[in-house]
Amino acid sequence: MCDTCGCGQPDDAVTIRKPGEHHHDHEYPHDHDHDHDHRHEINVERDVLGKNNLLAERNRGYFEAKNITALNLVSSPGSGKTTLLEKTITAIRDEIDCSVVEGDQQTLRDAERVEATGAPVVQVNTGTGCHLDADMVNRALKVIEPVDNSLLFIENVGNLVCPALFDLGEAMKVVVISVTEGEDKPQKYPTMFDAAGICIINKIDLLPYVEFDLEKCKEYALQVNHHLEFFEVSATTGEGLDTWLDWLKDQVKST
Amino acid sequence: MHEMSIAMSVIDIASREAEAGGAVKIESIQLDVGKLAGVLVDSLQFCFSAASKDTRAEDAELLVNELPGKGECQDCGTAFEVDNFITICPECSGFRVEIVQGRELRVASITVED
Repeated sequence: MCDTCGCGQPDDAVTIRKPGEHHHDHEYPHDHDHDHDHRHEINVERDVLGKNNLLAERNRGYFEAKNITALNLVSSPGSGKTTLLEKTITAIRDEIDCSVVEGDQQTLRDAERVEATGAPVVQVNTGTGCHLDADMVNRALKVIEPVDNSLLFIENVGNLVCPALFDLGEAMKVVVISVTEGEDKPQKYPTMFDAAGICIINKIDLLPYVEFDLEKCKEYALQVNHHLEFFEVSATTGEGLDTWLDWLKDQVKST
Repeated sequence: MHEMSIAMSVIDIASREAEAGGAVKIESIQLDVGKLAGVLVDSLQFCFSAASKDTRAEDAELLVNELPGKGECQDCGTAFEVDNFITICPECSGFRVEIVQGRELRVASITVED
């Protein structure tokens, strides 16, 4: 499967690397056929995302067997996902092993930042692709080899639209929104808020300086998805992080 | 722009089915797309025509059957049509609404020349 956005690039354009590694290329052959007369209808009834969903279930089985809690972090660019990960991992990794799959179109920057926490990390560069898919995560898992009874954070490409549709095999999607964005984001990008189980509202230390109505934001989000659970945090100051960390520890214990 | 990935999956599914049925050319693909599937049909059509080149689906028509969204209120049981995920029950104004239809995204059938 080729998971691209807009340019029809082959899936070899996706690279999966540890910090410091280079990538290699492949050919991408395909068939061409010719015309005949007559026609008939073939009943198909197949889910378009079936192939991705099947692979996602394989990932899910792998996580279950190894008691790994996998969280798929999604947000628009700049909400503070990477900072949140750095702080989370630094605070928790004495108790629970963590590993990270970083998704970005280009560069190893986020992987390098996370690597500094000491957690194993691989960077998936999607090329022009706008989301991670289950196959990319599957390939990344073979590189990173996460240990049993651990947390796996999958930081998706910063995009509040496309990653909503692609199951990676995670236990849950965690949508991150920051108070420097509009409180109506859940209503503008409802598909993502519908797909998530957790909503982290980040940068709450900036609340006094911005016109962000926290309660209104939660209300908007709940109108889209009444199952959402919220965490209000500042990854920068550490405010609210304890509740989030406790929740993470509970996930690993209860799985 | 995940529509390119979706278009390529549609072509992949249709091409495999056509091949299995011994057909060399796909004339049309009937696709069910729910209103809440998160797919922009115009964009999908555009991507489809670009991605289908040199495949069995080249020049095939992508016939999209849009399925309406349906919600069901968990508080009062009212079933109603929904256009988006901002679901408020028209009867009791509650938010606890489950989407029961509208997320579909499937290739229903293909018409092939044989």
